[in-house]
Amino acid sequence: MNSNKKFLLMIIGVIVVSIFWIGWVSTNPADEKAMATFVSVEKLMKDNMSQRTKLGGLVKNGSIVVSKTSYLDCTFILKEGNTELAVKYDRTRPDLFKDGAEVIVTGQYLNGIFYADELQTKCASRYEGDLRDENSYNLTEIES
Amino acid sequence: MTPIAGGAALNLAFGFGILTILTIFFYTRNGDQRLYLTGQRLALGVSFFVFLATFILAYQLIISNFDIDYVARYTSLETPVVYKISALWAGQSGSLLFWLFILSIYATVVILQNQRKHHGLMPWVIISLVIVQMFFLVLTNYVTNPFKATEADFIVANGNGLNPLLQNVTMAIHPPTLYLGFVGFTVPFSFGISALVNRDTSPLWIQSIRRWTLVAWLFLSMGIILGGWWAYRELGWGGYWAWDPVENASFMPWLTATAFVHSIIIQEKKDMLRVWNMVLIILTFTLCIFGTFLTRSGVMSSVHSFTASSLGPIFLAFVFFILIASFGLMYTRMNDLRSTRRMESFTSRESGFLFNNMVFVVMCFSVFWGTLFPVISEAVRGTKITVGPPFFNQINIPIGLILLGLTGVGPLLAWRRTGKKNLIRNFTFPILTGLSSAIVLLIIGYRDYVVISFSLGAFVTATITTEFIRGIRARNKKFKESPFTALKMMVSKNRSRYGGYVVHLGIVFMFIGFTGHAFDKEKEFSLKEGETEHVAGYEFELIQLSESERPNHYAWISDLRVTKQNGEFVTNLHPEKRVYFHRNPDVNRRQPHSELDIYSTLNKDIYSIFSAVDTENGVAFIKIMVNPLVRWVWIGGFILVFGTLIALWPRRDS
Repeated sequence: MNSNKKFLLMIIGVIVVSIFWIGWVSTNPADEKAMATFVSVEKLMKDNMSQRTKLGGLVKNGSIVVSKTSYLDCTFILKEGNTELAVKYDRTRPDLFKDGAEVIVTGQYLNGIFYADELQTKCASRYEGDLRDENSYNLTEIES
Repeated sequence: MTPIAGGAALNLAFGFGILTILTIFFYTRNGDQRLYLTGQRLALGVSFFVFLATFILAYQLIISNFDIDYVARYTSLETPVVYKISALWAGQSGSLLFWLFILSIYATVVILQNQRKHHGLMPWVIISLVIVQMFFLVLTNYVTNPFKATEADFIVANGNGLNPLLQNVTMAIHPPTLYLGFVGFTVPFSFGISALVNRDTSPLWIQSIRRWTLVAWLFLSMGIILGGWWAYRELGWGGYWAWDPVENASFMPWLTATAFVHSIIIQEKKDMLRVWNMVLIILTFTLCIFGTFLTRSGVMSSVHSFTASSLGPIFLAFVFFILIASFGLMYTRMNDLRSTRRMESFTSRESGFLFNNMVFVVMCFSVFWGTLFPVISEAVRGTKITVGPPFFNQINIPIGLILLGLTGVGPLLAWRRTGKKNLIRNFTFPILTGLSSAIVLLIIGYRDYVVISFSLGAFVTATITTEFIRGIRARNKKFKESPFTALKMMVSKNRSRYGGYVVHLGIVFMFIGFTGHAFDKEKEFSLKEGETEHVAGYEFELIQLSESERPNHYAWISDLRVTKQNGEFVTNLHPEKRVYFHRNPDVNRRQPHSELDIYSTLNKDIYSIFSAVDTENGVAFIKIMVNPLVRWVWIGGFILVFGTLIALWPRRDS
């Protein structure tokens, strides 16, 4: 075999191994938290999905309840359109988490409650249009 | 008045751009020198008007002219001057202008530097550079103009102010650094395109861009590292890398650029891999634009993304335009590009470089795959599946370790072919070092990737050390120089080689730091004054909880006394809970912020976050993380920068 063919084989070998490896990890993630399906709240509740999912929505005004016994435990209602879902979250809440905040939660749906282990608020740069008072700039709602 | 001048400058730059392209294009047809000279000056004019526009915007930010929408959105009267200037790249339209500004600096330097050089290449280099400038001029002129007037029916007395998260020195440095990197690849890309247009297959274009590539690479690396540093110190989730789409967007061009930095050496020395290098630089540049697209389009949700905007389709169109035009052009030049040289042996430096290149590209692809996984899965299976850090780690740790190993193997291989005798001689010491470290680590009780990573680190360090010692010995023997003089002479005679080794050493340090991640510990808890909690072998006692009102925020300050379990005092940590705009009557407009405190040693970081305060009961909610070896990442970053500077330093005799 001449050296050119050998190199061609090596290149093909690397490509095959890489494709196999990336495909394998994509179908067999080692960590259950590696992947989450992004679904709408409505679909999640309708299909009673039990796998790890990611949801987006707004925190319903006045729905945040912090446990009396442990400050880290909290529940709130996630609103997406007209669908509402109770979410339980027991870790440090991000600074921007508050009534009306746009959030993304990741976790599992079980018996009507969504147990989230990740909560992201969206997002720091949004701050741009956020601050208003009587003498500050009257912005039109966040430009689309 | 001045805002109009800013807009006019951008308009003029656009007009000059069109003229430049036409003039130089006609020069390439008829060869009239006067046209070329005119074109050069017109191109400088484009950059001049961009500078003017940028300075006008910067000035308006400094004097707080809230008649400009951008100024009112991102600054207020209270914003310190430094951050008023950094607001230039805090928002969408400003950052696009800033991109253009940096590109114009590069373009100006390239044109001035090559006024009398590279007459064959320069015309198309200028055309390519101006085309990229034109793209950003279209954006800033017609899509998102930074000089847009404020739309309000009253006089704006004060602006919004800059996000406190962005009021940070690193944040003022990180974006420009990253941009300098991103934008910098436009130069080698333009040279590559020009070489293709001219059917110039000599390694000339490679030689003229080596330094440019390294400069861009250096800035890109620094930008990425600073971004991690900022995230670690400000964001308070305890890490420096989250495989966020935008982080990936900067990492992908870094990977292909790193491959390119290596493979141009082969083209310079052996005139091989012509096609491959062309592919790499086109990919790198495209990924830079693609990265800007990911950041700016809002396609991916990320801490970095601005509000969804109309920019997405335009950017995507430009990405496709570059890909089709460049690869199309390359396709028509395939016959010219074919190299006559062949690889001779597997155990040669060339083949080592080739292999390293392939692994870099594979890694880039895997990051690309993960970043676009939600889009791909939605297209293929109809469900949007997002992937998190564990996915990226699982895929990339082995690939990264292979690369680390190659860092040690490459320098030991000779050009063309390494004989058996040499192979044994070169590899014995490094392999023994690696193996004995592995055995020691296994005995201590480490397992898996940790052992592989550390022992590969030892292997690479041994290689680098051998290379230095061998070089010094040779000079010592030949010229009777003292070891120190020998080192100095050796490095100055071959800066890129030894600079490269130093960069490799930096990479080893960073890998050691990454490996520390395997031992991270964290705990969240609440404390009242006088209470104690223990985490990972340390005791944390809340000595005092105090509060204070400062000029632009209100702060609750904790005083945590950290001791080892045997009572030995370690440090006092003072993480703070702050509320910015605390005087705003609307509670929802106030902005809480956790200012963290880190106790950092070579061995581990103790990372404290004051996540919330219960003022009624005097309870502080604290999160503690113990992150081993993080400091090695930053030290590695410094070494990497130092090594690149050695490689970049101009040779005195040239």
